[in-house]
Amino acid sequence: MRRSRPAMQAQARTATNVVRARVSVTIVPLVMFLVACVHGRTPAPATADSAASPPASAPVATTSPTPQPEAGVTAPAPEPAPSQMNAPTGPPPPPATQPPAGQPKPATTSTRPNNPGATPRAPATSPVPAASAAVAASSPPARPPVSAAPPLDLKALEQRLRDTHAIGLFTKLSLKNQVDDLLAQFKAFHQGQSRNTLEQLRQKYELLLMKVVTLLQNGDPPLASAVRSSQEAIWGILTDPKRFAAI
Amino acid sequence: MSVRPIAFFALALLGSTGLTAAQGPSPGQDLKAAIALQGFPCDQVVDSKRNADSDYTATCKDGNRYHVYVDATGRVVVKKL
Repeated sequence: MRRSRPAMQAQARTATNVVRARVSVTIVPLVMFLVACVHGRTPAPATADSAASPPASAPVATTSPTPQPEAGVTAPAPEPAPSQMNAPTGPPPPPATQPPAGQPKPATTSTRPNNPGATPRAPATSPVPAASAAVAASSPPARPPVSAAPPLDLKALEQRLRDTHAIGLFTKLSLKNQVDDLLAQFKAFHQGQSRNTLEQLRQKYELLLMKVVTLLQNGDPPLASAVRSSQEAIWGILTDPKRFAAI
Repeated sequence: MSVRPIAFFALALLGSTGLTAAQGPSPGQDLKAAIALQGFPCDQVVDSKRNADSDYTATCKDGNRYHVYVDATGRVVVKKL
């Protein structure tokens, strides 16, 4: 009985050790996971002075790029449209320069109050204003990489279209034929010999450019965006008799 | 042990796709785009026969056959056969 009790105790101890080991094996990852979760949450409220702004801006930066490319794509198209439809030289510079000028201004003004505001407010425990300011600050700075100034260079654009590997030879030649046909129609229009109205020419022009962009957008997205962004600028040249004659 | 072959295979696959992308579209894709630009229906070119320089006969997946060539004036002509 005395010999069996220590043996039983030893067996019980080994059993408990095994159970503890198994429990520790399962609990340790859970504890590490919980610690990681808590660690991920704590920096925002705990360290409001320096660590609050990066996490607050990081998620906003991830959410902001998705709508902004669409705005960046759609914004340049309507902006040059009225400017070059109405007056080819005067109005275009202001709308083109205003967005870049307006973009850095909110970025600088919004970042300035964050940095000085964050450092004194850190002991005062104001994470909410800092987070809101960081949210307000993070949206403007995301614009600059998206917006690409499209200075129209027809020769460069033409050369890029010639050199691109996204379109085959037959397709390039077909597109060139259709471009030549459209140019001939514009030439007749400027000479007063065309049956097409400007609206009809505009429709044909848009359809042709849509074909080009469709063919390019998978194989050469930068060139497709360049063509799309210069759509109104090219239209301004086509509709201006003097500039069209200089082509 | 098993990570290296997978990584190597992935890199090789990426390299091959980049190479094909740099080479441009296949003749079938080019013919398909040329046919579509002329307003003819062709969802996919399943067969193409080269008759001469810039002269092809393309068979589309829907069974339509087209004669695609460049005429003397440099225009791409698509004729349904």
